[in-house]
Amino acid sequence: MTLTLILEQTFNGLQAGVTLFLVAAGLTLILGIMDVVFLAHGAQVMIGAYAAAAVAAATGNFYIGLFLAIPVTFASGYVLEFLLIRHLYRRDHMEQVLATFGLILFFNELIRIGFGPAALYSDLPRSLSGFVEILPGAPYPIYRLWVILVGLACAIGIHIFVSRTRIGAMVRAGANNPEMTAALGINIKILFRFIFAVGACFAGVAGMMLGPITAVQPGMGEPLLILSLVVIIIGGVGSVRGAFIAAIIVGLIDTLGRVFLPAMLRSVVDQATADGAGPAVASMLVYITMAVVLIFRPTGLFPAKG
Amino acid sequence: MDKSVLELRNLCKSFGALTVTNDLSFTVEPGEIHALIGPNGAGKTTLIQQIYGAVQPDSGQVFLNGREITGLGVPERVQAGIGRSFQISNVLMDFTVLENAIVAEQARLGQSFRFLRPAFSDKSLKAGASKILSRVGLEDRAMQPASDLAHGERRMLELALALATAPKVLLLDEPMAGAGLEESQRMTEIIDQLRGQVAILLIEHDMDAVFRLADRITVLVEGAIIATGTADDISNSSAVQAAYLGSA
Amino acid sequence: MSGIRNLIGLVYEGVKDNRLLWLLIIGFALFPIITHFADLPFWNDVAMRIMLLGMAAMGLNLVLGYGGMVSFGHAAFIGIGAYCAGISQFYGITNGWVHLGFSIITCGFAGLVIGYLALRTSGIYFIMITLAFAQMLFFLFVSLEAFGGDDGMSIDRAEFGFIDLYDPLRLYFLIWIALVVVGMGLMFIVRSRFGVTLRAIKSNASRVEAMGLSPLRFKIVGYVISAVVCGIAGTLFASWQEYVSPDIMHWTRSGELMIIIILGGLGTLAGPLLGAIVFLLLEECLPLLLGAAAPAYAENWMILFGPFLIMVVMFGRGGLIGLLSQLQVRRNARSDHRGP
Repeated sequence: MTLTLILEQTFNGLQAGVTLFLVAAGLTLILGIMDVVFLAHGAQVMIGAYAAAAVAAATGNFYIGLFLAIPVTFASGYVLEFLLIRHLYRRDHMEQVLATFGLILFFNELIRIGFGPAALYSDLPRSLSGFVEILPGAPYPIYRLWVILVGLACAIGIHIFVSRTRIGAMVRAGANNPEMTAALGINIKILFRFIFAVGACFAGVAGMMLGPITAVQPGMGEPLLILSLVVIIIGGVGSVRGAFIAAIIVGLIDTLGRVFLPAMLRSVVDQATADGAGPAVASMLVYITMAVVLIFRPTGLFPAKG
Repeated sequence: MDKSVLELRNLCKSFGALTVTNDLSFTVEPGEIHALIGPNGAGKTTLIQQIYGAVQPDSGQVFLNGREITGLGVPERVQAGIGRSFQISNVLMDFTVLENAIVAEQARLGQSFRFLRPAFSDKSLKAGASKILSRVGLEDRAMQPASDLAHGERRMLELALALATAPKVLLLDEPMAGAGLEESQRMTEIIDQLRGQVAILLIEHDMDAVFRLADRITVLVEGAIIATGTADDISNSSAVQAAYLGSA
Repeated sequence: MSGIRNLIGLVYEGVKDNRLLWLLIIGFALFPIITHFADLPFWNDVAMRIMLLGMAAMGLNLVLGYGGMVSFGHAAFIGIGAYCAGISQFYGITNGWVHLGFSIITCGFAGLVIGYLALRTSGIYFIMITLAFAQMLFFLFVSLEAFGGDDGMSIDRAEFGFIDLYDPLRLYFLIWIALVVVGMGLMFIVRSRFGVTLRAIKSNASRVEAMGLSPLRFKIVGYVISAVVCGIAGTLFASWQEYVSPDIMHWTRSGELMIIIILGGLGTLAGPLLGAIVFLLLEECLPLLLGAAAPAYAENWMILFGPFLIMVVMFGRGGLIGLLSQLQVRRNARSDHRGP
């Protein structure tokens, strides 16, 4: 029974982790390479979720929704970079924080006007609903398993892209030395815009996949944004590998902590105290982890070389 | 026997496989100007950083007036009596010249943790600050923003700020770097006037200035001392010729 | 005796150098007269909110504008201050002075701990770790069911001895007096040797170190002071809205405080207060304006507000204070031109 629960929650943690990674991957590249703090990355999650849900509702087909949402988020990232973000490259971090903060307010309101303040819910296609036994007697929702697999596939794709391809080499060169990249004759402006759009796209994919699990509503990306900032800080700014490991750690700590910490506390202190403090400590666990990491490694676990 | 102001004993520092300070020992005597020269990459600035406390040596000791300061951080060493100018001039660019000096003056007096009286209008602070500026001849620039100063003047201001802490030994890291001929001469004069008042460890690439100013010269190559002596000793040393002056 | 005369002299000097700040504060003192005769008591409420947020922004500005530390988590201290009032009330302690004392001690301690840990990092890491600490406290209060958890709890207004806070004007002037005290305190601090050193650290920390001072100690003390100021604002905020919930320390509020400072003028004494006035007036007026132009969208005023913030950041260098001083310079130039 408990083993089943542990297994199930571990899978939930993995699912949260890979989703987090999809958001954090783009963000860490944007931060590491362009040195821009882009808070509105959470809005990309929301745009992806809404695009998928709206198209799925209109066509009646979940997969068409997913498929069409990818170009939508890519385009939104591309346009956003062109309209605003490229003007922020030379600004200081505080100005970037505030400008993209304004962007969040704008996008949330835009969605509220377009789709109303209430949450959208989307149905799963039959092929993804239902359960599968991951161990005898341990059923697990197919959809969540599918999310984990898609997330891992994206992670592998991002890894190959960054470590093996020519553009990936430019990305790494850009992270270490923008002047050198420019000297190599690489058009850094186009490179930045492309990275930005791809990053937005992955955040959008995270949003699409979250749609059927959580409520699709204005501001839905913000908790994810803040958690993925935590992921980036733990993993080290600019490091995709660090982001992946940190995302899995954060996903597992958050999920398992909420489920098991109150019970564990109960075995140490009396029930009343444990019931009071358990949820509180569990919800702070991720942030405590980050603080501890920063105290011992002020630039994260895997700082990008630079 | 006079005690040395600054003494380094068997200082070692490496970054990975690269040894930048190799079992280094030397002294700076009271009142002398001691020049440290050597080709680029000889480890001069890293050595200064270890004396200053910004970089900790792997082993070895640093003494100031016979007192060990090896483990101390930068502020404590400055309080103990180490002053310094940086390779890239380092002043408070958002402040005026006088305000720069006022911040230094209140730091010297140990009054920086006071919360009541306004600092910039304080008469006694202003007087002290003016005195600081007059040592380098910047009194008449007092009201200028530091960012408006010419390069040479900014270096002067930095020197003044370093002197303001009343150091026992002054570390000057390439004070002539980037300066024009006239500015170099002016800087040379001012450093010359400091002779006897404060011990100076001078890193400089401008050999004219070094030979004019230095009482003693130490030549550093690849983190180790290859010669120490007077200007004549050094210019006649064959080891120095081979390792350094000849290759230049 | 001469000590008092000296102090008065210092106050006079400071007020003279910061006319705009004190004009604004005097304006707040006179404001209830206008609302009384115009019969618009609602606007007293707006003014109180402006003073409270302005006060908190002034506190943050010590760190952000004068110390150059981009703290993205100062809403946490407002929240701690508010919960100090809330928790005290919960346990039957109704005395407002006790609330304030509790808040000052707690926020000072929290500021010390968070500042000590966060100031080991710098740049983007500092922004994020302050945000993370704020989120940590936010979720702490969300999960504390005893104090209402997510929904928060209603509380009575505190008792300040003879000052009955259920008389709206007395509450107004209690907040106003707090604003005067905070404004005066920060004015002294900013101009003092400590404040000057803090600004020097922002300008060039390594030079300050070379003067034999440890920048970290000054930054931490500055951080603690600003946390305490935000805490005071939070405690009064709780009494004003008779309600405490984690919402008061939502991360967007930290962003709001920063926007207020940028809008008014970073690193100026009057800036945060001026910024708070404009920010909250916009918040009140944009729905009205939008409602007049397109009634269906009156609720969606954020659609204008977001881009407005972006414009402020992109083009509003120096904030409103910067704009005012530019106008001043231009006017002076013109009168010089016309001069004899």
